[in-house]
Amino acid sequence: MKKGPVKGTLLFLLMVLVPFFLSIYYVNILSEILILSVFAVSLNILVGQTGLVSLGHAAFFGAGAYATGLAALKFSTNIFITIGIGLIFALLLALIIGLLSTKAHGFYFLMLTLACSQIFYSIVYQWTNVTGGSNGLSGIAPVDVFGGLRLSNQVFVYYFILVVIAILLFILSRFLHSPLGAVFIGIKENEERMKSIGYNTALYKNISFLIAGTIGGLAGGLYVIFNGFISPNDVYWTASGSVLIMVLIGGVGTLWGPVIGAAFIVILETIISSYTENWMMIIGAAFILFVIFAPNGIVGIFNNLKSTLFKRQKLEHETLKMIQMKQETKMDG
Amino acid sequence: MSALLLQLMNGLSYGVLLFIITSGITIVFGILGVLNLAHGSLYVLGSYIGYSLIMEAGLPFWVALMAVPILIAIIGLVLEIVMLRPTYKLGHLSQVLLTFGLAYIFHDIFSMMWGKNILVVNPPEALNVSVEIAGNAIPAYRLALIVIGIVMAVLLWYTQEKTKWGAVIRAGLSDKEMVGGLGVNIHFVFTCVFFLGSLMAGLGGVLGSPILGVFPGMEFQILILSLVVLVVGGLGSVTGTFIASLLVGFVETFSRYFVPELSLIITFALMALVLVARPQGLTGRRVA
Amino acid sequence: MKNFKRNGSILILLVLLLSACSSGAINTSTSKEKTKGKTNDNSPIKIGALLPSTGVYASLGENLLNGMNLYFEEQNFEVAGKKIEIIHEDTEADPQVALRKLRKLTDQDQIDILTGPVSTAVAYAIRDEVDSKKLPFLDSHAGGNDLTRAKRSNYIYRSSFSSWQIGHSMGEWAYKNIGKKIYVTAADYAFGHEVAEAFKEAYTKAGGQIAGEVYPPLGNNDYSSYLGKMNQKGIDGIYAFYAGSDAVRFVQQYDQYGLKGKIPLIGSGWLTAEDTRPQQGTSPEGIKASIFWDYSLDTPENKAFVQAYEKKYNKRPSIESAEGYDAAMILAEAIKKLDGDVSDPNKLVETISSIEINSPRGPIKFDKETHNVIQNLYIVETGIVNGKTENKVIDTIPQVVDPGK
Repeated sequence: MKKGPVKGTLLFLLMVLVPFFLSIYYVNILSEILILSVFAVSLNILVGQTGLVSLGHAAFFGAGAYATGLAALKFSTNIFITIGIGLIFALLLALIIGLLSTKAHGFYFLMLTLACSQIFYSIVYQWTNVTGGSNGLSGIAPVDVFGGLRLSNQVFVYYFILVVIAILLFILSRFLHSPLGAVFIGIKENEERMKSIGYNTALYKNISFLIAGTIGGLAGGLYVIFNGFISPNDVYWTASGSVLIMVLIGGVGTLWGPVIGAAFIVILETIISSYTENWMMIIGAAFILFVIFAPNGIVGIFNNLKSTLFKRQKLEHETLKMIQMKQETKMDG
Repeated sequence: MSALLLQLMNGLSYGVLLFIITSGITIVFGILGVLNLAHGSLYVLGSYIGYSLIMEAGLPFWVALMAVPILIAIIGLVLEIVMLRPTYKLGHLSQVLLTFGLAYIFHDIFSMMWGKNILVVNPPEALNVSVEIAGNAIPAYRLALIVIGIVMAVLLWYTQEKTKWGAVIRAGLSDKEMVGGLGVNIHFVFTCVFFLGSLMAGLGGVLGSPILGVFPGMEFQILILSLVVLVVGGLGSVTGTFIASLLVGFVETFSRYFVPELSLIITFALMALVLVARPQGLTGRRVA
Repeated sequence: MKNFKRNGSILILLVLLLSACSSGAINTSTSKEKTKGKTNDNSPIKIGALLPSTGVYASLGENLLNGMNLYFEEQNFEVAGKKIEIIHEDTEADPQVALRKLRKLTDQDQIDILTGPVSTAVAYAIRDEVDSKKLPFLDSHAGGNDLTRAKRSNYIYRSSFSSWQIGHSMGEWAYKNIGKKIYVTAADYAFGHEVAEAFKEAYTKAGGQIAGEVYPPLGNNDYSSYLGKMNQKGIDGIYAFYAGSDAVRFVQQYDQYGLKGKIPLIGSGWLTAEDTRPQQGTSPEGIKASIFWDYSLDTPENKAFVQAYEKKYNKRPSIESAEGYDAAMILAEAIKKLDGDVSDPNKLVETISSIEINSPRGPIKFDKETHNVIQNLYIVETGIVNGKTENKVIDTIPQVVDPGK
């Protein structure tokens, strides 16, 4: 049996058993980490695989969250319907923003995604009748999974999120090695060459954007189920910056990198902010250190350690989970 | 009619302030290729130091106006030597991220040194009056700002177009390697440009503080505005940045006057429009 | 395959062992009621303070905490024989962070009572969790109307104010004392709109006419365009709701653009608060505002409070300092009434509901139905004394009750 799925299944088992020996406080932190992991993983499809550095990803999170929240408040308490509506909205938004943005490259793409996301933020903030404005949407009650099973307990919510992310990661790991995934990587490595081979890179960039945006919306929907609340704060550009930091610190282009990055940032923020008010400085310093010394993120550090410790062992199974990426993106030149 | 005139003056003074602030980030990005996300922080640092000099130490405004930009420029210099030069080989994206981490660090340093309240800097006594123009009372300081801004723009334009130094910078914008090949010490040019950019940030900090105040978190607001102007104006020319600053200044002022609920959206819509229709900005050249 | 089976079973065995001896979430989460197992032992009473210490509301959070600490220090941090412990967590005025911190306070620190927050968005975000966990919550600042209206809960009491109380009190007063036609402006966020709405409602009901309204974005730095709009002929005054840095800039620019002295400016107390006036120079002169506490209130309770605060912190108390002090006083009185036994949340909130005190802001008590505070609102006017601006109470509107819907 290949080592990759083995490790994954063991990890899944471990996570299933966590609520048995950790208090609800830590289970909730884990739920948050998992939700933000979904968010970070979705951004990674854009940044890590297709090489499109976006600073507007919070818009999709927001679209999914607000749509799910409104659906839960007004139409239905079935979780699949509410999250489904969230996904549809995120998809539509990704379609619009994607069509506008993918024409641009590098710095301009970055700015355009920022601008689009800020426009969405402003609409959410101003449209008080629908979105609750600066006070946000609150009072979103627990939802049902099937008929009678209500997610009223935080532990049930944790399990639901765990199952979702397990399925997601499984699909994505297959996707990384599919022909479509390879096209994305090709575009990141050298878009001109892909074009000359005959690929319609604009189309593929749009598809990548759609996928990333929809999964980002999924994260938003899960967030609303977990917290029962969403506010414009979570759609502001600093939220986009935060998830970008997660992807970069964790290890851009890898499957587990964003997950580790999300865990790292949440733990850092939660623990450090209990001890000092100056946690921003610490995150900034950590970020700088990573950029200089560990450009491939935590996953990169892990890989380097492995290869120096087990120099002779062929790290074949690593290719199942990770594909090394160069740091260059469209911002050079 | 007089209301419109007032809005025109407001838009002009706001736009000119934007120009002074943004010119710094534009030249650094144009020449070094580094998007300095700590530029807002340098502006705020200028405001804070200006505050300490003017309000706490009681020094005259013009002293701060002379001293602070140079101070900030030196700090910028140190940053360039310590952080940016050793990391050129890492690529532009990494350097952008570095400046972002730096902004976070600066944020907490500001809170530690100057506290969390909003601070206000008083304009020089002579200018702390209102002038009557066509039935409107306009603060004299804003008029002075318009004059200073135009002077700075002319100075910068002259330097860029008419001096040898400007020629080197213009050439460096087009083709860095070639300039290096011609025997100009390109690293020295880079350092000077960063020095100049930080100087402008500091100058903006002192000039802007009587109007905008100083408070934690302000650096990110300034940063976003600078990015809007940067995008609209395009890279590499003083004229472009000037026109863009005025344009953004007017659009913001008038949209706030006529449709305040939509003013936020309109500014970013302008940015998006320019990016889609003319990505290199109004007068800039294409950056890959 | 063998490895997998072996590793898997070892893991499961380990976990079963661990869960047998520790309190996992599964064990404790099946029971809905949180039995804290607090008997009459000598464990301290834990008060959670969910307040921002970073971000745009940091100074308000700081002042609230100062007020609370001052009161409890005066009691030596001991009430009815039990020690008082305040556990403060930073919300950063971000609802997501606040929820995280709330969970820490309830699940890890096991607080008995919650107080804070500054931001209404945070209050709304934590409302459901507070209610389902039956956590007694004394809101010491966030003024969103809904918290004691549609979103009210058995466990939520508010000792600070509702936006309605602030705006409404000035609305009635303005018609009688300022004039018949007023322009309304406020910062474009929920708080600003709520206060402005309440003002308009009361003012028009009394017979007044609203000349127009404009809502600049929150955090706006340049009010020149809006001031241009407001500077009309034939209006008797301008009602403005701004707070913090917005208040500083608005009042300054009101002066700079020549409206001061021409058109009377009225608003809420945050326009001329103790922590904004120092930055405004002489610009606030002549402003009349409605607020529930002022530095200049001439009562023995307030004089004692101000003296103690200035001695301890070397600066003047702000509105939020008074709010923190009052909240602490209310909690202490409730604890005293219960003889230190806070184990039953239902009894605790019932006791809080019955508390009536003479606080630095005057007599306050709770509305039994809405759980909002019933208090005096004062009209204060800013003047110049010895070259500096000072507020002075010129009118009192006694015992204002929020309508509750």
